[in-house]
Amino acid sequence: MSFFSVDGLMMRFGGLTALDNVSFEVDRGMIFSIIGPNGSGKSTAFNCISGIYQPTAGKVSFEGEGISGRAPHHIARLGIARTFQNIELFNTETTIDNLMLGRHQHMRSGIWSGVTMVGRATKAAREEIRNRERVQWIIELLDLVHVRDRPVGELPYGTQKRVELARALAMEPKLLMVDEPSAGMNADERAEVAERMRELRAELDVTILLIEHHVQLAIGLADHVLALNFGKPIAQGTPEEIRQHPEVIKAYLGDG
Amino acid sequence: MALALVITYKTTEVPNFAQGDMAMVSAFIAYTFLTDFETGFIFAFGAALVFAFFLGVGFEGLLLRRMRKPTHLNLIIMTLGFALALFGFAGWKWGADQRQFPFPVSANEVIRFGGVSISTLSLATILIAGILMLLVFAFFRFTKLGVAMQATQQDPIAARINGVPARAVVGLTFGISSVIGTVAALLTAPLITLDPTLMWDALLKGFAAAVLGGLNTPVGAVLGGYLLGVIENLFGAYISVEFKSVVAFLIIVIVLWFRPSGLFGRHHERKV
Amino acid sequence: MTEPTRDHYQDIRLFTTKGSWIKLALLLVVLISLPLILPGYRIFTFNYMAVFVIVGLGMNVLVGDTGQVSLGHAGFLAIGAYTMVLLMTRLAVPFPVALVMAGFVSALFGFLLGLPALRLAGPYLAIATLGFGLAVTQIIAHSALFGGHMGLVVPDTTLGPFQLSGDVSKYYVIVGITFLLALGVRNLSATRVGRAFRAIRDSEIAAATMGVDVSYYKTLSFAVSAALTGIAGGLLALMTGFISPGVFTFTLSLMFLAMVVFGGLGSITGAVLGSIVMGYLNLEMDAFQEFPILGPALEGFSERFMSTVGLPNFGWVVTGALIVFTILIEPRGLYGLWIRALDIMKPSKSLDAELSQPRSGAD
Repeated sequence: MSFFSVDGLMMRFGGLTALDNVSFEVDRGMIFSIIGPNGSGKSTAFNCISGIYQPTAGKVSFEGEGISGRAPHHIARLGIARTFQNIELFNTETTIDNLMLGRHQHMRSGIWSGVTMVGRATKAAREEIRNRERVQWIIELLDLVHVRDRPVGELPYGTQKRVELARALAMEPKLLMVDEPSAGMNADERAEVAERMRELRAELDVTILLIEHHVQLAIGLADHVLALNFGKPIAQGTPEEIRQHPEVIKAYLGDG
Repeated sequence: MALALVITYKTTEVPNFAQGDMAMVSAFIAYTFLTDFETGFIFAFGAALVFAFFLGVGFEGLLLRRMRKPTHLNLIIMTLGFALALFGFAGWKWGADQRQFPFPVSANEVIRFGGVSISTLSLATILIAGILMLLVFAFFRFTKLGVAMQATQQDPIAARINGVPARAVVGLTFGISSVIGTVAALLTAPLITLDPTLMWDALLKGFAAAVLGGLNTPVGAVLGGYLLGVIENLFGAYISVEFKSVVAFLIIVIVLWFRPSGLFGRHHERKV
Repeated sequence: MTEPTRDHYQDIRLFTTKGSWIKLALLLVVLISLPLILPGYRIFTFNYMAVFVIVGLGMNVLVGDTGQVSLGHAGFLAIGAYTMVLLMTRLAVPFPVALVMAGFVSALFGFLLGLPALRLAGPYLAIATLGFGLAVTQIIAHSALFGGHMGLVVPDTTLGPFQLSGDVSKYYVIVGITFLLALGVRNLSATRVGRAFRAIRDSEIAAATMGVDVSYYKTLSFAVSAALTGIAGGLLALMTGFISPGVFTFTLSLMFLAMVVFGGLGSITGAVLGSIVMGYLNLEMDAFQEFPILGPALEGFSERFMSTVGLPNFGWVVTGALIVFTILIEPRGLYGLWIRALDIMKPSKSLDAELSQPRSGAD
């Protein structure tokens, strides 16, 4: 039973085929990267996996369970978290509240316990405190301490990306899907991102599925790579194999 | 009414909840011309339509354009606010009494077709609605301006690059739809008496019809209007008169449940 | 690098500083002693405003927090009012129970309305809720069970050993309940459910990806909002002694929307403030000419340009104008103005100091 696998994934929007027969497998503890030029279907694949799109065909399995076609919140509950390329933060909320949303599925208080939260000892209050303590280390890890109580809408882009990542981590996922973590960054920042991914994998024992437009970064970081172009898989293998693969080179150079 | 709403929505994605009351005020203007100044019908109606046009353009230019965060929710609230202010204004200026609205075509004369009788007014209304629908349809399809308006809705930036004066187009849109809305008001006023609540029912039904037909197709809107009218009256005739309006509500809900874009409309997905 | 241990409870507790306790105490003192100070007819005004506050809280949950729109909340008000009155008159249900039931029945309808709302967005939802509000009043008006156009009389109510007659006794009940509900809503807002609501407003997709069952929470939001409004309806019945369909108009629904917009969407304080203002406005609309200074000026103006008999409609003009100006100038409404005022008074820490870190410029 593989940890995570995608089999024959197809996604069509009207006349446009965004994904054409994409298949790959990810083992536990791996860093797996999907690369490809803009518009090659990487984010579409993520959206299919996380349940935002219903794939036209194909199967996605996680820990032996089929998850294709399920609603996003179900998939989240199974232990899959993701970030968004264009940052989908809760802009009016503070950093800590964004992270606490990540804790949503691990918490239980509903209407009644919420309304009657009078005093430290109540169930809702204890839950809040407990979970806030739990995410504190993420805040420290990603250097967000100084913006903990600021509304994220006001934060600079780079910080927002860290909050987005922190929020996904707050879910304590088994599989972390990161969509273009290095977008808009310079070389130094990219190196940091790569280092951070490695750290996360090591300390949290989380499997990482990465979309990365920047080929060098992906190749330097990942254990295994899948290259897409126009929705079709054009190469799959170790970073070395991919780097020298003629199709990959053509796809990137050809697109400018 | 549905037509007016759809024109605005299709081009600017603004559901203009103020349309009803804008038309109502214009109708009052016509009334004032007719009674206080005792001008002829054509002049009074013409004046009302001109007023309506500028009211529409003004609303858009002065208020809507200045909005900082034109989210759907905000737009709805904004137009509602304007509607409320207009409603209050009308009530304040003209009082809430109901008045008889003089009209060239009578609501009481009746023509008979086979076993069915239609009042001349209703006939005129149906005809005018049909004509307007065709005109608008042709306008959007065939004239440069109409195509420009559609382009502005689908992709404002691309439209602007291609030389479409987006702002003017938007203003114009509101002007035109305001005029059409006023036509509706002028046709409605003789049926029921003229007072500030004149267009409430029409606004709701107009939206219902527009939604039924699809909020972004003018043809759909008018067809939706006909359809809604027929269904409502059949319901009223055969089942119960009192709950006629409830039907409008139920119909919308049911249709939207199955076809969120209305019967003829098309939906645009947002990319993530 | 050690940080002082953080007391996480600080985040959610209501009274963060000693100052807050004092403010609360003061507020309570004022509220309790109000009926003793003011003349009798003023109490009615406060009762009315309190009812509006409860609706405002409800509207805030739905529109402010979750980001949905409702143009039909007068319908829930009606459902709550009629449920309570019918239970009390037909089934001799005691007042407290009837009131709670009003909330539940209303919540049920809220839930039902929330279901189609899942599929509808923006203007479609607005229309649907508008239709709902109208449908409710129509059904009530046309059926004998609900007293039709004539309405129903609210029977004498007792709460335990107390006879609730006269505005003062009603005041304590109404304002007391309002206070409790405000606390409850505030608590809800600070916990998981409230966060989920706001997440839905800010980004449905992200919320779903975080494990929030969006459909469930959207309908829940409607139910909670309806429940609050239903209770307000029951209390409205209590204080006016008589209910009829003519009260629950579309313009009332608009007013409800206006007050949370004006107060500041998403802010409980804002909703409360906005409701108080609009509630007062709604009540006093027939008596504009009696305002000091402004009244006679308005009258004079009316005589020259408008009709005097239509002066009450000025209230609608004001309401509409307030909405328009709120959206244009200060989208966060009264609450936003309040924040701005605070900002001016307090010097704020420099942003740079907070953000500068010894990093390579990743920020």
